[in-house]
Amino acid sequence: MDGRDLELRNLTYRTFVRLGRAPTPAEVGEPTEVEAGWRRLHEEHALVLGARGELRMLNPFSAVLTPYRVEADTRAWYGNCAWDALGICAALHSDGRIEWACPDCAEPLAVEVADGRPDDESLLFHCLVPAASWWDDIGFT
Amino acid sequence: MNLFRSEEHIGRWLAGRPPGATIPVAKLAELAWAWWGDRLDPDWRPHTREQNQGILDGLGLTGEFWRLPT
Repeated sequence: MDGRDLELRNLTYRTFVRLGRAPTPAEVGEPTEVEAGWRRLHEEHALVLGARGELRMLNPFSAVLTPYRVEADTRAWYGNCAWDALGICAALHSDGRIEWACPDCAEPLAVEVADGRPDDESLLFHCLVPAASWWDDIGFT
Repeated sequence: MNLFRSEEHIGRWLAGRPPGATIPVAKLAELAWAWWGDRLDPDWRPHTREQNQGILDGLGLTGEFWRLPT
């Protein structure tokens, strides 16, 4: 990642957090240049674009609604998965609350996170895909 | 990558698929802070594969399942 793309990546993340949503290319810079830069960053797994070139993931943040809702730093966010949901608190250096539904039985679940520690330590995280294949299909992972 | 209340729920959700890896949420939190904690830092640089593998190894997430691609 060269300096230009690193700057674009950092600006995109900052803008996302400032707005609380995915920015459009025009909100980040000259649209054509931003779109080309985002494509390069997508290829480097620095962010994830959707089919129309729109921001889909700024990991750990999701640009779209997901089953993992996170309240942190006075806003609601969405994590791409359970790991990312905790990652949002980590990235924001914030306590938070994560709400989701059990993938098995759909029971609503929630956990409070304070000082990096979940308040219900009985919960279990299951990772289905081995690390070597995480980026084969990041949406599924 | 999901959170469950118990092994029983994981087993039902897998529905016969081969299981991956299960870790306590406290370990996941440690992983999340190590992996994502610098993501908004003004001087953020991409993690190398070795850095990320070091995070996994340092948390005891070892073995073939947790081996990142080379």
